[in-house]
Amino acid sequence: MKYLSALVCASAIATITLSAPAFAAPVTINLWAVDRPDQPAPQLVDDFNASQDEIHVEYRQIQFADLMSDVMRAYAVGKAPDIYAVDVPFNAMLASKGALLDLTDMAETSDVIHVDDYYAGPIASATWDGELYGIPKATNTIALFYNEDMFKAAGIDTPPATWDELLEDARKLNDPSKEVYGLAFSAQASEQGTFQFLPWVQMAGGSWDKVNGPGGVEALTFWKQILDEGLASPDTISRSQWNSMSTFITGNAAMAISGPWELDRLSKEADFNWKLALLPVEKEGGPRSSAIGDYNWVVFKSTKHPEEAFKVLEYMASQDKDMYQRFGQLPAEKDIEIPSTGDAEMDQALKVFQEQLQYAQPRGPSAEWPKVSKAIQNALQAALTGDATPQEALDQAQSQIDKLVN
Amino acid sequence: MTNQSIRNTILIACALALAVIYLFPLYWMYVTAIKTSSEAFASPPIFIPTHAQWQNFVDVWQSRGMGSYLWNSLYIATLSVIVIAALGSGCAYVLARYRSVWIDVGLFLILMLQVLPSSLMVTPIFVGFSQLGILDYPRLATVLAISAKSMPFFVVLVRATFMSVPMELEEAALVDGNSRMGAFFHIVLPLARNGILVSAILIYMQAFGEFVYSKTFISDAMYQPASVGLNTFMGPNTVEWDKIMAYSSIYVTPILAVFVLLQRKIVSGLTSGALK
Amino acid sequence: MRNRLSTLWDGRGFDIILIGVPLAFLILISGAAILYNVIMSFQEVDMFSLGSIIRPFAGLENYKRILSDPQTWPIFGNTLIFVLGSIIGQFVLGFGLALFFQQKFPGSTYIRGLFLVSWVMPGLVAGAIWNWLLSGDFGVINYILIQLGVIDTQIFWRSNPDFALWSVIIANIWLGTSFNMILLSVGLSAIPQDLYEAAALDGAGPLRRFFTITLPMMRATIGALLSLGLIFTLQQFDLFASITNGGPNNASNVAQYWAWQLSFNEFDFAGGATVSVLMIVIVVVAAAFYVRSTRGEVRG
Repeated sequence: MKYLSALVCASAIATITLSAPAFAAPVTINLWAVDRPDQPAPQLVDDFNASQDEIHVEYRQIQFADLMSDVMRAYAVGKAPDIYAVDVPFNAMLASKGALLDLTDMAETSDVIHVDDYYAGPIASATWDGELYGIPKATNTIALFYNEDMFKAAGIDTPPATWDELLEDARKLNDPSKEVYGLAFSAQASEQGTFQFLPWVQMAGGSWDKVNGPGGVEALTFWKQILDEGLASPDTISRSQWNSMSTFITGNAAMAISGPWELDRLSKEADFNWKLALLPVEKEGGPRSSAIGDYNWVVFKSTKHPEEAFKVLEYMASQDKDMYQRFGQLPAEKDIEIPSTGDAEMDQALKVFQEQLQYAQPRGPSAEWPKVSKAIQNALQAALTGDATPQEALDQAQSQIDKLVN
Repeated sequence: MTNQSIRNTILIACALALAVIYLFPLYWMYVTAIKTSSEAFASPPIFIPTHAQWQNFVDVWQSRGMGSYLWNSLYIATLSVIVIAALGSGCAYVLARYRSVWIDVGLFLILMLQVLPSSLMVTPIFVGFSQLGILDYPRLATVLAISAKSMPFFVVLVRATFMSVPMELEEAALVDGNSRMGAFFHIVLPLARNGILVSAILIYMQAFGEFVYSKTFISDAMYQPASVGLNTFMGPNTVEWDKIMAYSSIYVTPILAVFVLLQRKIVSGLTSGALK
Repeated sequence: MRNRLSTLWDGRGFDIILIGVPLAFLILISGAAILYNVIMSFQEVDMFSLGSIIRPFAGLENYKRILSDPQTWPIFGNTLIFVLGSIIGQFVLGFGLALFFQQKFPGSTYIRGLFLVSWVMPGLVAGAIWNWLLSGDFGVINYILIQLGVIDTQIFWRSNPDFALWSVIIANIWLGTSFNMILLSVGLSAIPQDLYEAAALDGAGPLRRFFTITLPMMRATIGALLSLGLIFTLQQFDLFASITNGGPNNASNVAQYWAWQLSFNEFDFAGGATVSVLMIVIVVVAAAFYVRSTRGEVRG
């Protein structure tokens, strides 16, 4: 009997010890983003994994160029990740196809994530049909960088505040003999072109779904004038933002329109004084606008662990307070105080970006965003190469947009 | 100076001039590798950088663990070439040996199967491989896809080589009592050796740099080849050109050096008469 | 029984295995992928239905849509210019270089080996370098042309609709020349020297020897090269992605890049598949032409 009970006891212990790890085995959450090893997602994933043992997050880095195609292919064969960082203009498209988990209720009851804390633009980009389908990961926008030394040399005291001033200053600063252009920006036939163009449309009173009204035509005419007068490089229509900004850093452009992702490189490589200004408005007192960039965290509906996935998102959001110091990215919450970096130029730029963010508007949201954006890119290219007038080009784009969204 | 040496001097000068023009992009890769990221965009162009950043090479090697990437490139390229040469040589031989409508159809099919760029083929292959479970072996999946993509190239080239092997030699071997298989392995294949080698080398170099399939099938950085590693310097809004060029200098130079030496042997070996 | 089996190494069966296995392999992978594209071109495809073959049937809708798109014909026209321009350029330069290096001089084979660099360079890197070389403001090509006095003002290769397609063609010629050169070198060195000696004795000049000996003897190599050139040119993708993005205003867009843009930028997979199928149809015609031309080849 003793013998038997010992046996039972031993087997019970064996059962417990054998099955105990199975009970405690962490839930695995797959998380995909573009972030490189030194950027937020993998770092925060490591921190999170180390902080508890109920959830284990597997990180996979995707290349920016494959961000959508990789996830679509994986989804198609039933291997979508649980959590994915979507480029903001595509959030609505994924939501509209029913691929994403509705986060509205979880966000309402969350102690960590409060929708009202965020800037309006990023939240709007994550919202579809009145429901919340994403949590902003970080945010960015564009503003006007200018070369202070060149401004001084040309006798200009303040950065341009209106389109007319921008044009005037660009004319003064433009100096073909020294290979200096007044302005650098990107009108590339890619999402970057749309990203850079829409703020101008919005400042002039148009919008992404109404581009052929006066607002859009004025904006495109203004861009065309800059190019026609040779105030920006003709390669503006084929060059990315990063490559355009490079010409500013080498001193071949006096002003440049780009975003906070350039700050690090500017502080390292620019050997002149530079500053940042809000995008000039169309007329004095006119509405301000800018674009919203960066990513939203979304959860795929196919996930087996929605609650755990949301916990991961809560952890990510809870770390936003250090986003700028640790990674140089702007948190999407408006009230986060960012302490001084000790670099006056960086601090000034940061303040301007934070102000600019209040006026930033999402692209869309639209379920058909890629096609809308393509129509706008085609219009830019047609008008800027002189194949069509701005009005004709935008009429053409509008007729395509009408078919898509109405 | 003799006539001969004058002629040689002129020819060498011409060859070097041509090489300088043709290799300029290679030079530009090396120079950009030691420029800062934005110096590459300076106007007028900087031909000889003043603040050479030599540490770029070391940084890139260490920070990206290039050793493992290069090993994977080697692994994938070697396996692909083996698969292609094993399957493709026989195929090319048959296509060269006969002339009939069926042979025409076969050659035609092989060419047609290679028309679309890999960027358009990769999605269906991904879906198919995933359903067959091949994606669980990502490097193997990549090898299979690369083999399918490059085999037609190999077959067409090697077929041209077999065309220049005299039929009588094979017939003589058959008369001597060899089986078809024996004649193929002992007579025909050795005669076509050089053509097969040149084609295999060209395939090897391409497979070494293959990108689209590798990046789609191989998600684990441990198994990714160097071409995919190159991509880690390209972010949505950042492209570290200096690093990319330093990385590809490290990546390209050794293969180039090896093949400069190898191709000399192979192409000049041909003139010495294996094929006469 | 023994005879049945022995065909595997000594008869028809041997040939059938040699060609059957690779063909089956190719059809299983590439053939299936192409079939998938063909099927998609007759369907309505959603970005998330990529994994299933059963999707709503669309009939010829996709074809009607693509063929009535005003961009279609200019893009296919560009494709033709790109293919012809690239193949002719690569072949002529490659042949010239091959003939040049056929002259024996010290170091000739080493220098020839260096030309393989364009074959080794990763597409992304080659594309980026050509992007800089061809850039308007700081491009080295403009700089050199201006220094040499060939042009007065910069040419905006990538952004001027008149030059954009040619800028990609130039880069593609650079890429393809080495492969043409190396294969033509192999072909050239396989021509027996005594043929030339005999022709020289008969008083044939270099030009005549080229046309009566070199070209006919190289027929198989040239045929193979041109058909491969066609396929490589049609597969060229990286250069478009890194130099012009098919722009400006589609001035340098070609079918293969457009098909990719439709599929992965606009997520119009059916449209992209339709363009791919149209491309294949066109190439089938061209390939039929090549296969016919091989009938005239002489073996041995």
